[in-house]
Amino acid sequence: MTRIRLVNVTKVFGTTVAVDHVNLEIESGEFFTIIGPSGCGKSTTLRIIAGFEVPEEGQVFFNDKDVTFVKPYERGTAMVFQNYALWPHMTVYENIAYGLRLRGLPEEEIKKRVKEVLELVDLVGHENRYPIQLSGGQQQRVALARALVVEPSVLLLDEPLSNLDAKLRLEMREELKNLQRRLGITTVYVTHDQIEALSMSDRIAVMNRGRILQVGKPDELYFRPRNLFVADFLGRSNILDGTVVGPAGEGQLLVHVPSIGADLVMHAYENLRGKVKVIIRPESIVRARPEHNINLIDARVINTMFLGDKLEVRLRVGEASLIAYFPNNERLGVDETIRIHIPPDRVVALEASG
Amino acid sequence: MAGSIASDSLERSYDIRHVLGTGIIAATLYYLLYYVEPVERGSLGPEEALAWLVAILLPLALIARGADVSKVRFSFGWSFAAIISYVYVPLILLLGVPGLPRAVAIAITPLMVAAFAYSLKEFITQYRAMKSKQIRMPLHRRIRSTLYKLDLLLASFLVGGLTILTVFLLIPVLLILWNAFTPPIGQPFYANFKRIFTSYEYVRLIELTPEKPWLFINEGGTRLLLIKGKNYGILLNSMINSVIVTSVATILGIIVAFVLSRYEFPGKRILRVLALIPLFVTPFVNSYAIKLIFGPTGPISRITEILFGFRTQIDGLAGVTLAQIMAFYPIVYLNAYAAFTSIDPSLEEQAENLGARGFKLFRTVTLPLALPGIAAGSIIVFIFSLEDLGAPIVFSERNLMSYAIYQNFINYTGTILPEAAALGFVMLALALVGFLAIKSYVGLRSYAMLSKGGRWKPRSRKLGPLGLAAVYLLLLPLVIFTMMPQLTVTMMALNIVPANTFKIQLGEATLRYFLALFKDPHLFMYVRNTLSYALTAVVLAVTLSIIIAYAVTRTRIRFVTGFLDALSTIPLAIPGLVVALGYYYFFSSVFRGTSLDPTSGPTVFQAWIVLILAYTIRKLPFVVRSVYAGVQQVHENLEEAAMNLGATRRQTVFGIVLPLIVAYVVSGAIVGFIYISTEVSTSITLGAIRPDQAPMTFYMMDVFLGGQLEGIQYVAAMGLLLILFQLIAIIIIIYGLKQSYAFIGA
Repeated sequence: MTRIRLVNVTKVFGTTVAVDHVNLEIESGEFFTIIGPSGCGKSTTLRIIAGFEVPEEGQVFFNDKDVTFVKPYERGTAMVFQNYALWPHMTVYENIAYGLRLRGLPEEEIKKRVKEVLELVDLVGHENRYPIQLSGGQQQRVALARALVVEPSVLLLDEPLSNLDAKLRLEMREELKNLQRRLGITTVYVTHDQIEALSMSDRIAVMNRGRILQVGKPDELYFRPRNLFVADFLGRSNILDGTVVGPAGEGQLLVHVPSIGADLVMHAYENLRGKVKVIIRPESIVRARPEHNINLIDARVINTMFLGDKLEVRLRVGEASLIAYFPNNERLGVDETIRIHIPPDRVVALEASG
Repeated sequence: MAGSIASDSLERSYDIRHVLGTGIIAATLYYLLYYVEPVERGSLGPEEALAWLVAILLPLALIARGADVSKVRFSFGWSFAAIISYVYVPLILLLGVPGLPRAVAIAITPLMVAAFAYSLKEFITQYRAMKSKQIRMPLHRRIRSTLYKLDLLLASFLVGGLTILTVFLLIPVLLILWNAFTPPIGQPFYANFKRIFTSYEYVRLIELTPEKPWLFINEGGTRLLLIKGKNYGILLNSMINSVIVTSVATILGIIVAFVLSRYEFPGKRILRVLALIPLFVTPFVNSYAIKLIFGPTGPISRITEILFGFRTQIDGLAGVTLAQIMAFYPIVYLNAYAAFTSIDPSLEEQAENLGARGFKLFRTVTLPLALPGIAAGSIIVFIFSLEDLGAPIVFSERNLMSYAIYQNFINYTGTILPEAAALGFVMLALALVGFLAIKSYVGLRSYAMLSKGGRWKPRSRKLGPLGLAAVYLLLLPLVIFTMMPQLTVTMMALNIVPANTFKIQLGEATLRYFLALFKDPHLFMYVRNTLSYALTAVVLAVTLSIIIAYAVTRTRIRFVTGFLDALSTIPLAIPGLVVALGYYYFFSSVFRGTSLDPTSGPTVFQAWIVLILAYTIRKLPFVVRSVYAGVQQVHENLEEAAMNLGATRRQTVFGIVLPLIVAYVVSGAIVGFIYISTEVSTSITLGAIRPDQAPMTFYMMDVFLGGQLEGIQYVAAMGLLLILFQLIAIIIIIYGLKQSYAFIGA
């Protein structure tokens, strides 16, 4: 299996820097996701790995081989495009068999392998259809089958689920993840959908304006963002201004938050001083119980919204307005005053300028 | 951008109207001076310089004081006027035209100044922005990146396309320039041009022998009104003629297109088909039919005879203008029709919703949105009119640029005067300037395609009784009238209409003339030549088109890609006679003494090779356009998917791209075949050197030049054959390939 390494990769289109000195290490067999808003350079990064673009600066390594200037057809990657890029003049069978034919396999072998992969993506019986006769989900699976059938060492997925409807997307998400785990192919997945990224990935890289802002496991990124962009991009956050009072134990700080009129203990990556931004996830706010002894605040309920799986509550704490998610069986009245608790390891202080 | 400038000078905000106002002041000043002391040619002297100074400095002063002139770039009307001024003002100065035309030039000079100032400002801003953001990459890395994208196949496409177009297009045209600057002994290098721009033969601003554009003559006892038009000299005639033809064709085309695209009435479908009939190209006979229709025996003459007691004949320059209008207006019609139907109806609905109705809606929303498309059609008409040889030869009108150049070829002195080269170059410059001006105008205003993607049902509504009356009493006769030449040609080929008078003799109908094209060995030779040349040239043009279209869409090398793209479209703006001249110079100098040398004599010279090459290059844009549209349809991802799976560029091009663009290639080939089989300019010039290797169009010309009556029936039969080709082509393209894009257009 293949380990991918990007060293200092920069790609420029005219006067825009699409990819700005990106360094990445993707482990062999890993499901790695690059997430970011549209135009952040994530697709370009993927295309550089596939060999469709050459970086103006930096190198791309597969294992320890420099492949920066290796042609796309010599890289052994297989890509699934956002628009699937199925050849409209070929049937499903011909589409899938194309890569195998290029490899000069005997027709018997091709037949066998196409059949296997069609079983894998649950499309047996559709061999002689043309892409235009298939639904979006089926086309997506043909595209996947076409990529998988050549047994690539690297699978590249460029927002493959974005053209599917919500229900199908949910199904495909699970299928794709299972498939990848079973085959153990190094997979790079590009998306702007945080749920996809968080649910499927072993690790995630968050990108913005051509730069990698943070790389980490999904929960790490979610609860411990390293900068404001990551905090804001992944999930919802309450972002408050604060001032550091002093250290409060291992990797923790005591921060004064003037808008809520309280000092909170929280996680911090670095030893920060002065002004900071305080990030609180809505679900990190819980109702206080007797065993809680720090980070306790009184809050007034402004309104509540029943969202089915949870209760969204807008709280007024001092001058600040906070969003909190409570369990869906919680009963709260408007204007009721409640005591809330924020676990110190679920609040993050970030440098104010970040 | 515009807003900020306007708000800066809110107190006294000048805009483009004030700038134009300065021009009107200056022009009035000039005209008053001219009225007091008229000059025949050139300038008034210091008094006039003052007017020019006002027209240049005053607008600059206004701009310096913050006048908002962004309209010269963003308003559809002002920007069009600005582009016209760029062409008109230098021309008037060059030709030394005095009087009212010069006053107009002075009046629109501020517009030109404003446009220039604004573009300069824009360029500087952009340049600075680019410089400040430029990312410097080491040269070897840049080269390596470029080479990475260029595999062997793509590189050879690029180099091959560039080489072929440079050798067979660029060099011949440059050779014309070289010869144009070869003056008669003892004269300055620009002598040829000086003669064209100043001599009485070319520019006739004063009349030595006053002549009337029309006159009555007595002929066989009855009075005949002969309308011939006025001779202003070869250069001015050509320009005036082309401007009139273009303007009238544009207005007619817009009206017909608008009615047919926006209104519902019984018989609309038939009218739409009939309106396409004038598009059928039948060189020479078409003009001859018009000459007959407007001749002493034609329907117009009969009407005037009954009503006013005299017969009418339209001949000479007036005939050329008329024939060209009738032949070329459908080009505008087609483009305008496409433009009107591609406007998103919601844009017009929004305007109506806000209260715009009727002509106001048309003037403020519909026309501006459709104008780029219409302009693209108009410029084609301008170029076609400028280079047309058919009408001048049939109407024996020698005082036109095209005829003047052509005459050099038939002198049979073996050499072509450098003056003809200069004339060819002037013609090329006129066509090219017009083409580029319109192209830049269209490029600026491509918002007609604002909302892409979704197909909509074009707006159309039912006509009221008044509208219906207008359609049936005005539009229907107009359409029927413009298709009469093709109808007449067909009838003449079947001998229903005799060769020299306009009358119908159904009893005389015969297929004899048509069948003779295949039975008579001499006539069949021409048919065979046309067919074999056209087929060969089409194969070459298609191959070249695929190479060029693919290289242009799939490479992004600075200067190189754009240059190849420009080279492949530019033949559209190169008059056929210029190609003929260029090829004459090219093959008689580079291939001197070989069998490709036109001066090597009528037994040695192999005209067919030169003709096929000329056809291929001349008609390339029509084929390229279709293939290019096809390649653009193939999403780059489809190719990347193949290469990602291990396909090389060659395997991708032949396995993925070509199968997907087959329909476009075929329709490009068909359109190419039509244009090549009806080609005139090179066929009757280079082809004339080897009559036994000449195509049909040469024979057609020969008959009209020689004036044999019997031949006219055969020529009409050839016209009918060409009409049949075109009919089949249209049916294949529209019904077989389901591609309904406009046949002609830029």
